Amino acid sequence: MKMEKFIEYLKISARQVARKRMRVLLTALGIAIGVAAVVGTVSLGEGIRFQAVEAIKDQSDLTLIEATADIRGGTIQLITPAKIDEITAIPHILASTAVIREAYATKRQTYLSVMGIDPTGIGDVIKPKYLKGDLIEPGTRQAVLGHDLAETLQRYEGVRLGDTIPIMIREYDEDGMPVDEEVDFTLVGVLQERDDQFDQLMLIDRGVAQELRGGESSFDGVLIRADNPDNVFAVVDGIKDLGLTATGSFEQIESVNQLMDVVVLLLAFFAGVALIVGALMIMNTMITSVFERTREIGITMAIGASPGDVVQLILYECLFIGLIGGVLGDLLGIAFAGAINVFGKPFIIAQLGDTFATFSEADITLITPEVLVLGIVISIVLSQLSGFYPALKAARLNPVTAIRTGV
Amino acid sequence: MKIVMETKGLTKAYNEQVIALNDVNVALEKGEFVTLLGRSGSGKSTLLNILGGLDCPSSGDVVINEKRVDFDDRDALISLRREALGFIFQNFNLIPTLTARENVEYPLLFNFRGKTVREERALGLLDLVGLARRADHYPRELSGGEQQRVAIARALVGNPAIVLADEPTGNLDSKTSDGIFELLRTVNRERQTTFLIVTHERELGRRADRSIELLDGRVVTA
Repeated sequence: MKMEKFIEYLKISARQVARKRMRVLLTALGIAIGVAAVVGTVSLGEGIRFQAVEAIKDQSDLTLIEATADIRGGTIQLITPAKIDEITAIPHILASTAVIREAYATKRQTYLSVMGIDPTGIGDVIKPKYLKGDLIEPGTRQAVLGHDLAETLQRYEGVRLGDTIPIMIREYDEDGMPVDEEVDFTLVGVLQERDDQFDQLMLIDRGVAQELRGGESSFDGVLIRADNPDNVFAVVDGIKDLGLTATGSFEQIESVNQLMDVVVLLLAFFAGVALIVGALMIMNTMITSVFERTREIGITMAIGASPGDVVQLILYECLFIGLIGGVLGDLLGIAFAGAINVFGKPFIIAQLGDTFATFSEADITLITPEVLVLGIVISIVLSQLSGFYPALKAARLNPVTAIRTGV
Repeated sequence: MKIVMETKGLTKAYNEQVIALNDVNVALEKGEFVTLLGRSGSGKSTLLNILGGLDCPSSGDVVINEKRVDFDDRDALISLRREALGFIFQNFNLIPTLTARENVEYPLLFNFRGKTVREERALGLLDLVGLARRADHYPRELSGGEQQRVAIARALVGNPAIVLADEPTGNLDSKTSDGIFELLRTVNRERQTTFLIVTHERELGRRADRSIELLDGRVVTA
């Protein structure tokens, strides 16, 4: 019964709306322009976000993630063998390997960032490609250098493939005095340039690193290879759920997203000022409409409509205006986004330069279903808000005076 | 006969000088056809509005169907209008966006009646007022007399005990006016609906069961 009444009310309101088509269309257009502005600017923001994220995906090794120990709620979450089992159980992980992080210095005081790896388990995770030489032998004091680090050592210390790298490992005696022990590693390989942290790393055998540390069996982190770029954030969430910290190229996407959230919100906010104008137009139209129908409303109340019924009937009229405005606004917004693509793109590319050259082949605006739904929802909500005062005004009419004096 | 509507000491004063109704005591029996006569400003519209629950008295009571009307209870007044009363206006006052049938159905919509009940009653009443074939016409396509017939059907659709009519023939030529008046009498006889009809035409008063005349807010003949 409720539903049927609702539909009947909608029908009656629809006819009232249909009675003044031109006026309704113009009013709806007012709100539509606001919606279009929001849809257009949000689509521009989303488009730039999408392109930036795509660029990051293209240029960096997104699926490589490192899980490291973290302090959460006062407890240190160490990378224990049990933890490693839990990590491997996270879905969408292709391969993973535990690593040791160390900081060594050469005899001539070149700082070395060192990663202790398991040479047999590293292949699927790091996917190393060698510029020169090959992988280290398990259990030996051999080293592979990242591209940039190899260049540095060659330039300043003359270390070449096959040479030894003399490393000073500092320890402390019973009196707390530093004691440096010299350990020699043989350079057996140099990695190709990868544009990530491995360019600056020295890779050594994990067992050797643990032994040099004093026989500790714990790890500092786990390198993880996700099976697909789209699943990276699922894996990251899985790592965080275990109380660990996740690092990797995905963080760039996170910062882009954070930045674009703010940018999109600000753009939408300023564009949304136009919505206020649209809302005022609806209010104005409905006040006029209520005034014109004073007598009709009085009659409706005299023959049994409650003030609540009158409020509903007026608000449903606004609902139609809001719906028309939302749909028109979405259409205009799509057109607006298209215009930005055609006319605005050359300008933006010229301004941003080569970094964003990828833009030239793609649309810089992105209309998502969410934006379109948002446009219609905003329009309907605003129509109801602005219709509330006229509806209340109508419901407060005195039937006697409304019938006697109404036009 | 059973009394369906009664006023007891009904007074409406806007201020000390303007007293629209002064101690009005009238009673309508079931099935009565009564005209309310009086010159303009005599208080007949005020009385009609109060009886219809659209205006409230300064003092005195209205009793409808043996129940005292509580003018402070807005919901009770609304259900009174929905269930016990029917209204006919001078200017017909149909809703222009609704067809004749929909106009007749309209009050039932607020009264939570299902579609089949609404349609059945509306078509039945349009048949009663002789407009069954015009059911799907809009008010602008109907003559004044036809519009008033639709309005009569609308007033009857809730099966009210009492129909209040404010100058129902005031905007019609005399021939059409006769027809409408006859229709009201027929409905009154066939359905035993009580009618209170405000008019300033004494001639119509003679064709009623009884006339009540107001002069300066007082009943002069009852």
